Amino acid sequence: MVSRTAAARRYMRRFVPTMIGYVVLVIGTSLAVSRFHPAGGALVALSILPALPILGMLLVIGLYVREETDEYLRQRLVTAMLFGIGVVLAAATVLGFLQIYRVLGQIDVFWAFPLWCASWGLAQCVLAWRDRAGDAA
Amino acid sequence: MNNRLRVLRAERAWSQQDLAERLEVSRQSVNAIETGRYDPSLPLAFKIADLFGLAIEDIFVNPAKEQDQ
Repeated sequence: MVSRTAAARRYMRRFVPTMIGYVVLVIGTSLAVSRFHPAGGALVALSILPALPILGMLLVIGLYVREETDEYLRQRLVTAMLFGIGVVLAAATVLGFLQIYRVLGQIDVFWAFPLWCASWGLAQCVLAWRDRAGDAA
Repeated sequence: MNNRLRVLRAERAWSQQDLAERLEVSRQSVNAIETGRYDPSLPLAFKIADLFGLAIEDIFVNPAKEQDQ
């Protein structure tokens, strides 16, 4: 979020605690699994625990898109997010076929969200750069 | 969409930030509209027209009639 609209400030206030929760749960879960070697339902519950803040992040992002009143910034954000979705789907399709024909082994689907975030961020940077280039023109 | 926003703003000696504050949008929005990279929604177009005391078509060039103008 380049501009600090009221919605962007609310986004940051929600984003920071959610990400802190994610880091705490990732470290906590990793320590708990390595120390207690849980199995069955306990392992399932522990495995899902660090995913909850990521689901929370999707909610935080959705709230921002809904609350952002600046239509141009919202459109720019959604465009960048769609680019990210495109990258994830393209990667999933290509890697999926490589797996079908046994060219590739297992790839953790965990990477889908980070890939989406990275692609989205890259697209945001390009769009922001285009805006700055427009300023200079 | 081509428009006269930059000219109208300059006539009033407003910066992009001044106009953005009057329209309650970001400066990036004003810049994107001025340079034709973004077409505003009808509510925002009406807001812009109201601010300058003009009709929408006096600010934004109708693309269908652009060749005539």
